[in-house]
Amino acid sequence: MSVIAADDDAIRRWATARHLPDAHLVRWLALAQADRATLVHMAEALRLRTGQLVTAFELLEEIALRERVSIEAILSRTEVRRILDGAGSAPGRAHELIEMLRVIRFPRLRRMADLLAAEVAALRLPGGIKVVLPKDLSSDEVKIEICARGGADLQSLIDALARVQAGLGRIADLAGGAGGLEDEI
Amino acid sequence: MRFSLDAIHIEGSARTSVLARRVVAALPPQVPIDYVTDGREFTRPAANAGDSFGMGKREMTILRRRSPFLMACPAGSSEFACCGYLVLTLASNCPMDCGYCFLQEYLADNPGFQIYANYSDAFEELERLRRKSPARGFRVGTGELADSLAFDSLTGISRDLVEYFGDREDLTLELKTKTDEIENLVAIDPKGRTLVSWTLSPDRVFRSTEHRTASPAERIVAARRVLEAGYRVAFHLDPIIAYEGAERDYLELIENLFDAIAPDRIGFISMGGLRMTPGLKAAARRRFPNDPMLVGEDVLAEDGRYRTFMPLRTKLYAALSARIKQADAKLQTYLCMESPSVHRRVFGETAPLPSALGARLAQS
Repeated sequence: MSVIAADDDAIRRWATARHLPDAHLVRWLALAQADRATLVHMAEALRLRTGQLVTAFELLEEIALRERVSIEAILSRTEVRRILDGAGSAPGRAHELIEMLRVIRFPRLRRMADLLAAEVAALRLPGGIKVVLPKDLSSDEVKIEICARGGADLQSLIDALARVQAGLGRIADLAGGAGGLEDEI
Repeated sequence: MRFSLDAIHIEGSARTSVLARRVVAALPPQVPIDYVTDGREFTRPAANAGDSFGMGKREMTILRRRSPFLMACPAGSSEFACCGYLVLTLASNCPMDCGYCFLQEYLADNPGFQIYANYSDAFEELERLRRKSPARGFRVGTGELADSLAFDSLTGISRDLVEYFGDREDLTLELKTKTDEIENLVAIDPKGRTLVSWTLSPDRVFRSTEHRTASPAERIVAARRVLEAGYRVAFHLDPIIAYEGAERDYLELIENLFDAIAPDRIGFISMGGLRMTPGLKAAARRRFPNDPMLVGEDVLAEDGRYRTFMPLRTKLYAALSARIKQADAKLQTYLCMESPSVHRRVFGETAPLPSALGARLAQS
């Protein structure tokens, strides 16, 4: 049996065992040989669940299109190989892989989210105050949650908020697009 | 004729219409024509067609419109800072094929390219509107469910529209297009009542996504010609696609535009980021799986559409707005389908009411 046929058999076996919808199987088998083989090896090595495979597959396809590279090339990158060849549990590495693919798929979003997270951390807010940024920075709405137990606690948290007012304003402006992405568009 | 057609279907009730006669007279001889009882049968999705929407663009059906021609802009919503635009639906679907086009979802159940033979009934609707609100001015466009000028060399509809609006000071006609089919326009005097607007995109978006349209350079040349013929002109940077390098490319596009047309001769420039409902995104990805413009850093926004994440989107708007203002501080600029909050961030002021913005744009 040729390598290609063996890989395709492995793909079909994986798809049958995991009840992968036909539409995804058809797309998988339509990939270039190296891409579909790498994908099945990844699915087997990380013992991906069906939903994880679908998510990873979609992210990989979109990264490949955005960067004009093959899926095999993406999965060969050092940061990805580190996860694939890592020593942790398969479910842990599967989760880590999908997170890594999201970082690659949304590079500027990730940089902006990291910047905002660093800005929030730099405020050194007390435990009763939480800055809630919009999911995926999809809007400019920044929420401040205060969780107090008693009047004195509340007053103390409000005072703490007042001390970081300028920093909070900067975070709200960053979330709305004022700065933080210079020279990156 | 810039676009090719595989066939024309003419509904019996429209056979003797002015529109049908014009189309038949101007049609290349190789395009077959058939006469049908009910044109609506040819506007529905073809059975077993892999791409009904794309196939719908290949055949033109001339039929009678059964519903009103005039409606509020379908993009309007209380959650957006809108421009008070009214839409005349004189045709549906479009021979061009932009990867991001909302019609891929909006017309999924009715994809056949259709033009309405009884379009002069729209003038009656406009007269009723004028009688109801005699003190108001209205900005009315035809480019929402179809390009305003695609096939104008066949239909000649633009001539009738420009003449009708030319005699009415309370109405402004906006023809919206990505073509350079302007020969009918430049032959008549718009009497200052018609504005022609072009959607403009950088070459990279045009090459990747705007299939069968005129190139951005051709659109700018066409705009200059209609300006010289007495029309007002405006431009839509919409959708703005935030690929890496987009800011540089959009700024260059604005430079090219201002090199060809002085900013003080431009009525307005609108901006709008790429936005796609999940259904549209799926349809677009299915039809154009290899278009990188459709896989930007888009996230599900509060309005249920995929949009470029907020900081990147507003930064891009702000950069373009600043460049436009630098060229001419009086040049009207507005955002399409964005919230008042985004409007405030980009322009530093509260968004005007739709009626006020509409009135300003009508006079621009």
